[in-house]
Amino acid sequence: MIEITGLRRTYRMGAVEVKALDGLDLTIEKGEFLGIMGASGSGKTTLLHLLGLLDQPTSGRILIDGLDVSTLTDYEKTMFRLYKLGYVFQDYALVPDLTVLENVSLPAMLRKDRTEEQVTKDSFSILQKIGLCDRKDHLPRELSGGQQQRVSIARAMVNKPDILFADEPCANLDSENSRMVLDLFREINEEMKQTIIMVSHEDWHKEYFHRIVRLKDGKIVSDGLNEKKHAGQGTG
Amino acid sequence: MGKKELGVAFLLALRSLQRGSRSSVVLTVIIIAMCFTNMVFLPGLFNGIGEGIITQIVDYEVGNVLVAPKSGEQYVTDLDATLDRINSMPGVARATPHFSKGATLKYRQRVLGVSVKAIKPGDEKYVSPLYSKMVTGSYLGEDDTGEVIIGKPVAGDATIKQEDEFQASLGGVRVGDAITIEYGNGYTKDYRVKGIYSTGWSSTDNNVFVTWSDMELVEGKPLDYAEYITVKAKPGYDEKYIKDTLQQYGVTEYVQTTGDLLKKAMGSVMQSFAIINMVSLLVGIIITTVVLFIVITIKTLNSRRQIGILKAIGVDKEVIMHTYGLQVVIMSLLGIFFGIIITALIGVYLSVNPIVTPEWSATLYLTPLDYLTNSLILFMASVVAGYVPAYQVSREDIQSAMRA
Repeated sequence: MIEITGLRRTYRMGAVEVKALDGLDLTIEKGEFLGIMGASGSGKTTLLHLLGLLDQPTSGRILIDGLDVSTLTDYEKTMFRLYKLGYVFQDYALVPDLTVLENVSLPAMLRKDRTEEQVTKDSFSILQKIGLCDRKDHLPRELSGGQQQRVSIARAMVNKPDILFADEPCANLDSENSRMVLDLFREINEEMKQTIIMVSHEDWHKEYFHRIVRLKDGKIVSDGLNEKKHAGQGTG
Repeated sequence: MGKKELGVAFLLALRSLQRGSRSSVVLTVIIIAMCFTNMVFLPGLFNGIGEGIITQIVDYEVGNVLVAPKSGEQYVTDLDATLDRINSMPGVARATPHFSKGATLKYRQRVLGVSVKAIKPGDEKYVSPLYSKMVTGSYLGEDDTGEVIIGKPVAGDATIKQEDEFQASLGGVRVGDAITIEYGNGYTKDYRVKGIYSTGWSSTDNNVFVTWSDMELVEGKPLDYAEYITVKAKPGYDEKYIKDTLQQYGVTEYVQTTGDLLKKAMGSVMQSFAIINMVSLLVGIIITTVVLFIVITIKTLNSRRQIGILKAIGVDKEVIMHTYGLQVVIMSLLGIFFGIIITALIGVYLSVNPIVTPEWSATLYLTPLDYLTNSLILFMASVVAGYVPAYQVSREDIQSAMRA
């Protein structure tokens, strides 16, 4: 469970102070597929980065499973990200010089509790799940955008993280590939009870979310369950 | 940092070199190889010149040990007994006397002032390779009289006009020609040129050699004294040992090893070479360090976003630093390897075709220790040059790196 209280993030742009997030309070339950939506500049990505320990809040507190993450050292945060969190970025962010298999294995290779055999087994298993086993020896540039994003999801999932963060993962994809990626997220969420926090500005994506938090000017303007989803009328 | 982290850093480094910009890798390796060559070439050449000079001094001037007159005396006296004593000592291959006299050579219209050296040709063969340096004609026989061997520069070249000559000569003496030698004591004699030699050692090539018997005629008495005696050590015997043994055996003359003499004669030259070597080494290291620093800085700056992503997915900054550091390690090892090959090839070429000047001839003289020292210095410089930018970029916060 994630608990956020009084979360603020301000940036200095010359003499001007910009409030990216202005006192957010939020609780995210385990297993939720949460959509963070809002217009450009509303603070969606800032919130995601703060939750994902990629940035430091100006003030406020983030508790993940009861742990105040602001008390962690730089190294502890790195290890927390490695063991507990997974990330999917808008531009896939794969290492261009590594093959699909190597990209997927990379986070698992760094875990001290995994043997080489386990790393290989887990990597193949997740590649099978995303249907890219046959492309395991290909480099990212040899794949389509949709395939690259699926590899990125596989990389994020290989360590079986507690929370999966996705920052506009469909921004560079056409609607067919976007739907393929979103279907994959839903499958992961439903089958593995995986907590997923996803930022999006595409209105049609909301049909995939359990709950939608809307931001405007760094504040939550709405926070509610996706009625369509809960009524079972979604496309998915 | 554990084995796993180092393994991941190595994998990332290797893949970046294998699948990244090949031209950048090849260029960097070539630069390191060239820097290595630059670092070892000049010192190697100086060493080659130094070694060449030392070899020639040993071969044509002093042997391994020089026995000179005692202080205040002009000659080594009681020559036969002294030679017998020296030759009977352990470690001595042969001792041979030298005696020289200033003289004027005359050939047709040419007149030339030289030093005429008397040698015992048979013994001299054991001490100096002069006998093997005959260009035309033949070496002196033990009891030859009325015959001389002369250096090529003394003989001269008939096709070059006197006014065009680099140094004065007899203008093209050939084997069989007769030349007149007028000694400082007024003794004058016609000699037949038996052979013309060329050693490449200037002071020897400007000499004329006669037999000991002939010099006795010049002196007008048996020559039981010499200016100095050169001693050749048997292989495996140390010069210092020979010197100490000679002194223990009661040789009261002034005994010096080649090392003693070189320290005096070549000390300042060697010091100059060492200073130039040091400057050359420093320049080489600075160039290599700066080039690698620039290459890795550009590489890391171009990869800032990727570095941010790696940190975001849980790759520790130490792993990232080593990823770039190890790339430099691999490239510098390759560069040093190719540098050694290039230098070895140049060394082989120069051993067949040495750089020859009127004063000396030089090859590339490098010992395994020279290769090892320079490799280590370059390697350390490369590692510093690579790790500094890698360290800097790995410390950047994720947000700034990802925004790049």
